[in-house]
Amino acid sequence: MPTYTAPIDNFRFVLNDVLQVGDTFAKLGLTDATPDLLDAVIEEAGKFCENEIQPLNLSGDTEGCSFENGVVRTPKGFKEAYDKFREGGWVGLTADPAYGGQGLPHTMSSVLDEMVSASNTSFGMYPGLSAGAYRAISLHGSQEQKNLYLPKLTDGIWSGTMCLTEPQCGTDLGLLRTKAVPAGDGSYKISGTKIFISAGEHDLTENIIHLVLARLPDAPAGIRGISLFIVPKFLPKEENGQVVAGARNGIFCGSIEHKMGIKASSTCVMNLDDATGWLIGERDKGMRAMFTMMNAARLGVAIQGLGLAEVAYQNALIYAKDRIQGRALTGAQAKDKAADPIIVHPDVRRNLLTVKSFVEGARALGLWVSLQLDIEEHATDPKEREAANDLLALMTPIVKSYFTDAGFEAANSSMQVWGGHGYIHENGAEQFVRDARITQIYEGANGIQALDLVGRKLPANLGRSLRRFFHPVAKFIEDNKGDAEFGELLLPYAKSFGKLQQATGFIAQKGLVNPNEAGAASSPYLRMFALVAIGFMWLKMAKVAKAKLAEGSDRKDFYGSKVKTARFFITKTLPETETHFRTIMAGAKPLMDFEVDEF
Amino acid sequence: MAPAQREIKKVAVIGAGVMGAAIAAHVTNAGIPVVLLDIVGKDPADRTAIASGAVAKLLKTEPAPFMSPRNAKLITTGNLEDDLKLLADCDWIVEAIIENVKIKHDLYAKLETVRKAGSIVTSNTSTIPLKNLIEGRSEAFQKDFAITHFFNPPRYMRLLELVSGKQTAPDVTQTLARFCDVQLGKGVVRCHDTPGFIANRIGMMWMQAGLNSAEDSGLAVEEADAVAGKVMGFPSTGLFGLFDLVGIDLMPHVSSSMAGNLPKTDSYQTELRESPLINKLIETGYTGRKGKGGFYRMTKNGAARLKEAVDFKTAEYHPVQPVSIASLDAALADRKTGLKTLLSGTDKGANFAWGMLAPTFAYSADLVGEIADTLVEVDEGMKLGYGWKFGPFELMDQVGTAWLADQYKAKGRAVPKLLEIAAGRSFYRVDGGQLQFLGLDGNYHDVKRAEGVLLLQDIKRKSQPLAKNGSASLWDIGDGVVCLEFHSKANSLDPDIMGMIGKALALIGDGKGAWKALVIGNDADNFSVGANLGLVIFAINVALYDQLEEMIGTGQQIYKALKYAPFPVVSAPAGRALGGGCEITMHSTAVQAYAETYMGLVEVGVGVIPGWGGCKELLGRQLENPKLPKGPVPAVATAFQTISTAQVSKSAAQAKDLLYLRESDGITMNRDRLLADAKARALSLVPGYAPPKPHEYKLPGPTGRTALSMAVHDFVTAGKATPYDVVVSDALAVVLTGGDTDYTELLTEDDISTLERKAFIGLCKQDGTIDRIEQMLNTGKPLRN
Repeated sequence: MPTYTAPIDNFRFVLNDVLQVGDTFAKLGLTDATPDLLDAVIEEAGKFCENEIQPLNLSGDTEGCSFENGVVRTPKGFKEAYDKFREGGWVGLTADPAYGGQGLPHTMSSVLDEMVSASNTSFGMYPGLSAGAYRAISLHGSQEQKNLYLPKLTDGIWSGTMCLTEPQCGTDLGLLRTKAVPAGDGSYKISGTKIFISAGEHDLTENIIHLVLARLPDAPAGIRGISLFIVPKFLPKEENGQVVAGARNGIFCGSIEHKMGIKASSTCVMNLDDATGWLIGERDKGMRAMFTMMNAARLGVAIQGLGLAEVAYQNALIYAKDRIQGRALTGAQAKDKAADPIIVHPDVRRNLLTVKSFVEGARALGLWVSLQLDIEEHATDPKEREAANDLLALMTPIVKSYFTDAGFEAANSSMQVWGGHGYIHENGAEQFVRDARITQIYEGANGIQALDLVGRKLPANLGRSLRRFFHPVAKFIEDNKGDAEFGELLLPYAKSFGKLQQATGFIAQKGLVNPNEAGAASSPYLRMFALVAIGFMWLKMAKVAKAKLAEGSDRKDFYGSKVKTARFFITKTLPETETHFRTIMAGAKPLMDFEVDEF
Repeated sequence: MAPAQREIKKVAVIGAGVMGAAIAAHVTNAGIPVVLLDIVGKDPADRTAIASGAVAKLLKTEPAPFMSPRNAKLITTGNLEDDLKLLADCDWIVEAIIENVKIKHDLYAKLETVRKAGSIVTSNTSTIPLKNLIEGRSEAFQKDFAITHFFNPPRYMRLLELVSGKQTAPDVTQTLARFCDVQLGKGVVRCHDTPGFIANRIGMMWMQAGLNSAEDSGLAVEEADAVAGKVMGFPSTGLFGLFDLVGIDLMPHVSSSMAGNLPKTDSYQTELRESPLINKLIETGYTGRKGKGGFYRMTKNGAARLKEAVDFKTAEYHPVQPVSIASLDAALADRKTGLKTLLSGTDKGANFAWGMLAPTFAYSADLVGEIADTLVEVDEGMKLGYGWKFGPFELMDQVGTAWLADQYKAKGRAVPKLLEIAAGRSFYRVDGGQLQFLGLDGNYHDVKRAEGVLLLQDIKRKSQPLAKNGSASLWDIGDGVVCLEFHSKANSLDPDIMGMIGKALALIGDGKGAWKALVIGNDADNFSVGANLGLVIFAINVALYDQLEEMIGTGQQIYKALKYAPFPVVSAPAGRALGGGCEITMHSTAVQAYAETYMGLVEVGVGVIPGWGGCKELLGRQLENPKLPKGPVPAVATAFQTISTAQVSKSAAQAKDLLYLRESDGITMNRDRLLADAKARALSLVPGYAPPKPHEYKLPGPTGRTALSMAVHDFVTAGKATPYDVVVSDALAVVLTGGDTDYTELLTEDDISTLERKAFIGLCKQDGTIDRIEQMLNTGKPLRN
């Protein structure tokens, strides 16, 4: 049976020593978020995930969701676990205290999300979708809508969904057909079919608040004619001064999908037949509303990839230390045993360290990016808010795409460590691979993320967003040039950074003339960018770790391991940037000069 | 054989109103003395107060009628009672008095008594036919008389309509045409003696049709102006912006006067109709920009200024809304067939466009032969007088004459005569590299340029470039001269342009082969707005400081190579020559500048300093400036003052005062003659050409910086400079005082270049500079941080 131990020390290291979030939170006026409180929250969250939801992961996968007569049932134990999760206040961890939330920084959401995803990705889908609905309503809803829905979503007694996709439209929402007709009383009658709706129907909550994209009768064609509506499963009503779920609304689950992974998460076909809904935000501005919550949603998926990589690594590591097979190439290591544990082998180490260095570097990067959500929301200086928003906008497609691609690869490499046993369901390794696969696809397929990066984020404001990443890195390199010992890490890193600068200039220039050039370069460029960004985190982490060691810290293993992992990443993973650089420079021609018949 | 020319060495302008005074000013811009007379004023102590007051007012007018304030001294003022004798030695007398035929007749009678034999007399009338003006005059007067119709303001509006009568002597017409073209720089268009001549005749029809059509189509004012904008090549003021500019209260007068002079059958009469909105605007004092506003008005919303537009139906104002009209959006998306796409639409935008253009096109086509000999004059008149990017016939060619004729038929309008003559052929064609137009005889004829006019567009029709990339080309402009043309966006300087300069240097080699000289010039409105800031900010954003330094270094190398090339390099700037565009001219052997050239080292406006040798050259020139007191301090201070305040010359003449141009550099009054003059200049430098001697610099070093720095701090205290100005000025001061040097050291041009480069990169790493560059790119306006 797979296990999970929440990486509490690693969270603390990144938050307190590397990012020093305490200072930032204090500056932002988030005075409740003291280091002590955050420490306690992380520990409690870790315990909850280890004890309550991780044990349901394998069984949930085996059993899956069931669908019968329009009713969806989650696997055994999910309802109980969800109730405990809700009662623990975890649903509203970062929600506004005005609606009953705990008001903790968004950064803490990412910490919690990683642990939940690592323990049970399917389980995490339900509160995850609610968080999306919460964000949409809190950003775009009227005060009345907020008062009505946000307390319930914060509490978790009601959950939420995002209903975007239709059979004929996924990425291109301009093709959307679902219709909303004014009912005359301020509400709308909404009809259409939505597919791939996660948490669209289930037995965990009393009500489900669907956020539905639809088109008004006189709306302009295409993407500019889409509006966003709130469509509850049960129409809210007041009873004894309390809001409760009332009459059943015309939105029903038609079936659930049979999927490769995240089987305990219900993926529904939702049929709307004159369902009652209310406009949220301005009419025809639905896409704009979606965009404002996309950063958070995509960051959430990135963290799923990361969490799965972490748990896959933990189990592979246990196995690699335990499993004895053959002897080390340089001679027996465990002479008292019939064979050496496979962790003695360079290639097994390569598998493990590739994952470890990704996970720890990506964790730091993900939290740095998450921190921007808090700065964007709370900083008083508009320039600071702008800078945070720039960095968030720039890094969102990078972390979404890279964390999920690398997360899947990590799950796969970890499974490889298991040999044939990895292919066996009970050991859990193959479930991580299957569960990870969807993260590369949903919430904007990774190819779309790459296009977003080169097509939208790079040119926006003449590349201003780029400054938010390139300047801190350039400054770090400049500041540490004199440190000869650090040069071992800094110099090779600076080379890769230089290549990224060059590639950025190349794409900006070529892409202006021919958009296909930007498109052809997009994926390798995104990967290159992600590697350099994670590398930057490793430099920062290694610098802190070295300082701790120099101070004579008694945690020599922990900090020593950080320095060594940094070295591994910089020398063994970061050089992939060279390949990406050459692919980018090869231009669009090798792709585009094929006629369709020549494929 | 061309008729003999008369000489014009002194000019008189009678009537010191807005037009007369400004015409007088413009004549002085050509270096020619002017007598300016008006009636006797009320003050018995100062009988010429009206004329002299007008000159005083000219000096305060913006945009300036004088290219240099010094020119005011060339005007002698007087009154029409005491000073008629001043006219006796004038070669050309321009009458610009009130539009009243009786008063004009009286004046002309007086002129007969004082003017010298053979002097030319013209009227600036815009409404009275020539044949009426010369009634009762002597035969000699009639021979010497013509109409020269200037447009307001005369210095800046290039059109001059020239009307000769039957009696006008051919050499009078010839002399005026030549003088107004070469000396005054006007685009002289020959018109027939008909009401409104060309530009106002067509222009009034266009404005009336546009107004009617906008009212009928149900568009908002801002929508109409968006449609009547880029796609048609009309000026950015838009149609209703133009009403506001001209003055809405004038319109009923001008249109009824025009109608009164035209036959009852003229189509203008049918188009003319009263607009309740215009009446209401006039009644309520909304007469345009000079009044409370007009079709547009600006209101204050706190600190923000809000632009509002009036509603055609309710006459209420609303904030100007972003425009989205399907036909217009489609037209804008497709630049090649934009106008046709627009006119093919079915929405209100398309209806408005058709309602405005159909009568305008038809009118233009029907009037060829009546108001001018050919369609070419009609197109020229509208382009030069109304600022249209394309003349009506060029516009009709864009949609195709066959398509247009079909449209007229389909929409129940008569097909204009000239469209039928065209029978599907275009109005213009290129035959064997020669531009031709369609005559009334149905045949094509060459479009002839005046002697001494050389246009790159003509060269391009006839030949292939010697070399070309995305931003620049090299052309053979004859006699062994190569022309380097910029054609990047706003002619901003980028690596492609630098590369093309390198190509030119390689191509011409030692100047002893097939190629002898290089001219740097183009046909665009602006010579160059300077370095491509988008590339600079991108490099900064990605922290590519090394590449940025390399970019600056490459520019310095290339400009240096131009300066010391073994052959003459002549720059021919026109319009804006800013930043790097100014610097390239400063590295040329000689400059032949269009009179309307606005030069400046404006880098501090975007938080940097001139990095491509601007500091080096201006400092070198000031050190050798004989007008300054001896020693380096005044030279350094003068260069510092010019660069730190980003001074831009308001004319080529003023560029000489600032030493952006040297005394020896030439000025061409007519834009169309610039390239030919530059080429001639280059060829004149070829025999025995030797590159210039480098500047040498003895500079004060750190000790010289204190005074400069104190001056800037004083400006900050006085509120004339900002905190970040101090940072930029300090960096500039380091360069101009020679860095870590003192008087005992002799610095080279390369030393100054190195200082420029370091200062430039240093500034690029600062937030203040980044903010300035971003604001300039986003808004086109400098940030004062």
